[in-house]
Amino acid sequence: MRHWLRMYGALLRMGWSTVMEYRAQIVIWMTNSLLMVTMMLVWLGISSAGPVNGYTSADFVAYFMIGWVVRNLTAVWVSWELDYRIREGKLSPMLLRPMHPIHHDIAFHWAEKGLRSVIVLPIAALVLLLTPNAPLKLDVPTLLAFTVSLFMAWAIKFMIDFSLGVLAFWLSQASAFFEVFYGLTLVLTGAIAPLAMFPEAIQQALWWSPFPYMLSFPVEIALGRITGEALTLGLGVQAAWALLCTAVAALMWRLALRSYTAVGA
Amino acid sequence: MRRYLRLWLTFLKANLLLELEYRANMIAGAALGVFWAGVSFVSVAVFYTQTETIGGWNYAQALVVLGLFVITQGVISALLYPNLQRVVEMVREGTMDFVLIKPADAQFLATLRFARYSSLVDLTAGALVILFALQQMRYSPSWSALLTFVATALAGLLTLYGIWASMAALAFWFVKIENLSELFQSLFETARFPVSAYSGVVRFVLTFVLPIAFLTTVPAQAIIGALDTPLLVAAVGIAALALAVSRWLWRRALRNYTSASS
Repeated sequence: MRHWLRMYGALLRMGWSTVMEYRAQIVIWMTNSLLMVTMMLVWLGISSAGPVNGYTSADFVAYFMIGWVVRNLTAVWVSWELDYRIREGKLSPMLLRPMHPIHHDIAFHWAEKGLRSVIVLPIAALVLLLTPNAPLKLDVPTLLAFTVSLFMAWAIKFMIDFSLGVLAFWLSQASAFFEVFYGLTLVLTGAIAPLAMFPEAIQQALWWSPFPYMLSFPVEIALGRITGEALTLGLGVQAAWALLCTAVAALMWRLALRSYTAVGA
Repeated sequence: MRRYLRLWLTFLKANLLLELEYRANMIAGAALGVFWAGVSFVSVAVFYTQTETIGGWNYAQALVVLGLFVITQGVISALLYPNLQRVVEMVREGTMDFVLIKPADAQFLATLRFARYSSLVDLTAGALVILFALQQMRYSPSWSALLTFVATALAGLLTLYGIWASMAALAFWFVKIENLSELFQSLFETARFPVSAYSGVVRFVLTFVLPIAFLTTVPAQAIIGALDTPLLVAAVGIAALALAVSRWLWRRALRNYTSASS
């Protein structure tokens, strides 16, 4: 345990100094999530005439502001990192270290989330404070469930992205898959519209996939739309997805290393 | 003028040969083009499962805007982004000198040299969306509507070129201009909806501060036959302004350029 704490302490410090070095770059990448603000504005235009499928204007603001926070705090790019390292032969030195390289990536992702939180949380809080009747459930159990669910949402995305990144061991065009995954997370997780806006059959199908658990689920917890038994059950399903994705990532990594021959010296 | 047209065609041919060398890359790029057109389509269609109109535009009319959005994105990734990337690289590494010593206009050489053919898929997808939308409306545009459409679409493209050429010129001062283009792309996402979908302030900004409305909404209004003359004049004026600004920035950039290293 102490070993892990020291290792992650060092990695996080390293990650933070890299994040500080590239802070302008990171802020620019964050503008990608402005798409959600665009979507919010268009939904607000529609809901000004009256609630849409149970969502009032205040509901839309709360949904998209929390969603914007969740999307920023679950952002992943590990696949691109792996692709780059494999192509450029930069993976070999990392394999020599006495730890799995994934810890390096996890720590760097978390360090980056520090910077994103500092920017995103105050903005979202301000907007929500200025929105009359914003429906937020702010009791301790809900906040706890939200935090746990946010972490698992990140874990699901990270492990899927990691598994896709491993494809670069075999494919030269692996980045096409990263891009498709990114596009799917826009459409299917609830980033462009609350899932309640989709046709009933599509909603049903989506809840059998991991996608709603990457954004929609934590957001709806914070809005108090998922409570009681549904909440417990949902957290269980989300944990199952997180574990499954981790197992797949671990398996792919093993298979890949067996066939890996380094590029260059 | 004829000389530049010939030069440009030569560039296009060279790019085609280059791209055909990397077949897998081209196919992946084309497949992604179709995928992203689909993503854009879903992101607009989902709104119309809940409402009849957005900002006064019905589904078919909004699809015209979406088609123009997909086409514009295709133009960006086919013609504008590859060149911007190269300009940044050349300024950073000092190889811009080789462009400047060539006996042709530097802005032309630097901003129109490269092209990506796999993005032609986006142009096709966008055009198909527009045709589908017109067919849904059971509407065939009159000659005057078509003419204003061509005029406003052309003005939109020139405005777009002006903005990107200006960003490329800024690379001479700030080098890392890819960030600016990333920011433009994020803001350009708003163009997938008619500008009237947004409320007061945002609509004003998208029309007059960043002329994004002139890239998709205005040409769409033109083909539907709902464009008033002042907007047509404004579209042409903004295109001229964007081109003039890019020209002015390039002149100033070249005058101040002292090359990298040595």
